[in-house]
Amino acid sequence: MITHRRLAFAWALVVCLLAGHNAWLWLGKRVNPDTDILALLPAGERDPVLQRSFTHMVDSAQQRVVVLVGAETWRDAVRAAAAFQAVLRPHADLLKEDAGANAQAAWLDGFTPHATLLVGAADERALRTQPARYWTENALARAYGAFGGPKLGSFRDDPFGLFANWMQERAGETPVRPRDGHLYVGGEGREYVLVTYTLAQSAFALSAQRRAVPLLDAAAAAARRAVPAAEVIEAGVVLHAAAAGSQASSEVETIGVGSMVGIVVLTWLTFRSVRPIGVIVLAIGIGFLGALSVCWLLFGRIHLLTLVFGASLIGVAQDYGLYFLCHRLGAGPHEDSVRLLRRLLPGLGLTLLAAVIGYMGLALTPFPGLRHMAVFSAFGLVFAWLTVVCWFPALIGPGTLRRGWLARRYRALVVRWPRVSARPKVLAALALLAVFAAVGCARLGTDDDIRSLQSSPQHLVRDQIKLGRLLDAPTPVQYYLVRGASDEQVLQREEALKRRLDPLVARGDITGWQALSNWVPSARTQAERLALLDATVLAPDGPLAALAQTLGEDRDWVAATRAHLRDRAKPLSAEAFLRTPASEPWRHLWLGKVDGVHASIVALRGMRYAAIPALSRAADELEGVQWVDKVGGISAVLGRYRAVMGAVVLGAYALVFLALLPRYRGRTWRVLAPTAAASVLTLAILGLTGQHLQLFHVLALMLLLGVGVDYGIFMQEDPQRGDDAPWLAVGLSAASTLLSFGLLALSGTPALRAFGLTMLLGTAFVWLAAPCFTITAKERHEATVTA
Amino acid sequence: MNYLPAAGLLLAALLGASAHAAAPVAKIQAMLAKPEQLCGRFEQSKQLAGMKKPLASSGRFCVVAGKGVLWRTLKPFPNTLRLSRDEIVQLQGDRVAMRMEASREPTVRMINGVLFSLLSGDLGQLDTLFEVDGTAGDGAWKVALKARNPALARAIGAISLEGGAYVRTIHMVEDSGDRTDIVFSDIRTGPGAFLPEEAAQL
Repeated sequence: MITHRRLAFAWALVVCLLAGHNAWLWLGKRVNPDTDILALLPAGERDPVLQRSFTHMVDSAQQRVVVLVGAETWRDAVRAAAAFQAVLRPHADLLKEDAGANAQAAWLDGFTPHATLLVGAADERALRTQPARYWTENALARAYGAFGGPKLGSFRDDPFGLFANWMQERAGETPVRPRDGHLYVGGEGREYVLVTYTLAQSAFALSAQRRAVPLLDAAAAAARRAVPAAEVIEAGVVLHAAAAGSQASSEVETIGVGSMVGIVVLTWLTFRSVRPIGVIVLAIGIGFLGALSVCWLLFGRIHLLTLVFGASLIGVAQDYGLYFLCHRLGAGPHEDSVRLLRRLLPGLGLTLLAAVIGYMGLALTPFPGLRHMAVFSAFGLVFAWLTVVCWFPALIGPGTLRRGWLARRYRALVVRWPRVSARPKVLAALALLAVFAAVGCARLGTDDDIRSLQSSPQHLVRDQIKLGRLLDAPTPVQYYLVRGASDEQVLQREEALKRRLDPLVARGDITGWQALSNWVPSARTQAERLALLDATVLAPDGPLAALAQTLGEDRDWVAATRAHLRDRAKPLSAEAFLRTPASEPWRHLWLGKVDGVHASIVALRGMRYAAIPALSRAADELEGVQWVDKVGGISAVLGRYRAVMGAVVLGAYALVFLALLPRYRGRTWRVLAPTAAASVLTLAILGLTGQHLQLFHVLALMLLLGVGVDYGIFMQEDPQRGDDAPWLAVGLSAASTLLSFGLLALSGTPALRAFGLTMLLGTAFVWLAAPCFTITAKERHEATVTA
Repeated sequence: MNYLPAAGLLLAALLGASAHAAAPVAKIQAMLAKPEQLCGRFEQSKQLAGMKKPLASSGRFCVVAGKGVLWRTLKPFPNTLRLSRDEIVQLQGDRVAMRMEASREPTVRMINGVLFSLLSGDLGQLDTLFEVDGTAGDGAWKVALKARNPALARAIGAISLEGGAYVRTIHMVEDSGDRTDIVFSDIRTGPGAFLPEEAAQL
């Protein structure tokens, strides 16, 4: 008694320390949980150049909010857009409007010294094939025409229109056009103003989501007030993140409230008191605080997903409390709580050991994400367990609990429960179940596609698709990464890649590409082009001379014009181009020097998903060119996580079996059998209902092992006493697990739904199966004798 | 987002031209006849930077409301520019020298609209893109257009128009130094204004 009081006091000190540390972390240091999924990926898989390319392509998009404000007429669109912009303008600290069309002053100046060298693909072909007369006629038409085709600068700057055509080709890379100081896109019978914003914080920061989304809504409403028929299309990672967040929190609210109410009612019906819930929540809460402190001390950071999954795994700790409480209920007033605890300690110890073994298996995987969760959950369980052991006897004395209606009725259920034995009827039933399981499992496919985990609201997805179509924007998650020893080599390799892509454009697999070499040809290409121009349009007795003759100019004019054009043929370098304002929209394509390697991105427009294999093949055998498919990449990582987790689950079963062997001997299989059978049946049902196995199913199976082993141990601990306490503990635990995790099966988030459904089926099966594997005292005696 | 200021310059370039005056636009609008279709002759003189002699050309033009513009240079050599709702085509003899499609180049419709307004003197339409400054007297008016957008202004330079019931002259002075003067004559309206080959082309 005295020892236990000291123990309780010592534990109170530890809890104070934990509370202090947590208060310092959250209130003093104001730590924020990580939200970047990539932080959970294995560090070894990070190729720095590849990583940088992700940052350029995706993270720049992550901070972006793109808005199209459209109307029947341009004038209305501009009016609606002005109303939209006016709402956001005072909030530039959160959403900063990008420079847009007003950034174009002196835009062309950067190209002037190089203009002669900038020739489009079609004209380059024509230079190789068309006779001199073609170019003379071309120049004459331009000289005389009042509205003679695209023209940049004066006639003598570009007599053959080569530079203008090149610029038009570049313009073709996007349908966005400046118009009256705005950016304009037309399509589908409407005219749109394009406005883009940069979010000051990460799109995954909750504070950013909470402020940005209502602001954008207010801006859209203002646009519609200004022009009732206005259409506002918005896209941005922040919108998806906020939608996912609000969906999750509203679900957590409804599911959480539902399960809480259910559990309170259940406990009342069992114990005629809600105190048990209070003490169990206390145990889990201390577990959570302890886990957080240890994780922070070990890793120096905490990830949001770790918190979410870890917290759910700590939920297993309720079993310890319930086990004690049910025995307290069954023990009667003559046995004091400390003695009762001593009696229960071996069983409680083993349940903790089994769970910790299971979770530590996760810690051995190469995935930091899983490792964090493992440490978090294992320590959480230990802290919760210690709370039960140190404090529960003091908190729940004899006579605190009374048998409620449910506790009285529930016992009768188990008496006539079928048992596993060698009777023919039972064997036949088992065989039937085995066939069912085999058929179901055989049908189970796998699906690791990250896209199947997305659950953005329909209207966001629709907006995103429409925006992508109107803007003909390149996909940010599939692209080519080009590397080389120098800028020049990178540009040459880009050009080689583009030659490979030409047939894919012709086939309609892609509509085009964006690459820096579109703007800055490699030095080699520039030299070849100048030689070509010298041999054709700039040739001494070529088209220029013929033109002079027709227009009545002399040889001096020819020489002067030729010199003028030659003067505008200075080599253009990537570096120089990147310094011009014209390069602003393309800078994300150029990674520059990363870890001693020069690298760039070739982005694709109008990509068909079906063309991904062909696009991937286009990079084959091209030195320094790598096809990057981030969707595919994350999916592959998820797939590996799934496979590794599957192995971990199996390994955990083996380890738990070994841990239990010294105590249960020949009965050990009976502890694990209900969980194993329930897992297999769950998989079978998933297979039969056409679901595809993914990581979250497997994570749930891991949790199920933690839960199920507890039930197995409880049921095996003291069957000889004919006590109903274990059965009641299992029933209560299973019911509350079903209420808390099983209800996640109703979630709209696919990952949570998969997790919840597995828990729902699995927990129900373990519950039903646990009594089937118990043995009576007589059987136990016989078993010991034969062994 | 990726955008291209250059494309705005394209529009500027197609218009190719600076001037100022005060704006009784409504008065001018009232003076202008607004025929469904109008055809006539033009005489054009261009002075290109760095060249001694002006380049003179002449031909015919037609403007049809809702359809587009046909600009046919006949001398010194044939060259046709056709602007319709969906495309801009330049023909050198029979050869297509240039084609811009609205589906690929959204500004085509805008260019078409501006040229149409310019040739038919529809100042109300031009008002969206330009500041219109001018004077109106006895049956004659004169306006100067200044692009509202600085980039466009830089590329186009200045355009000035003179006319009465119809536009009579257009002067364009580009920042690059190239200048163009166009004088219209022999203007006819109504269905009979077309030559058969013009009706076929538009």
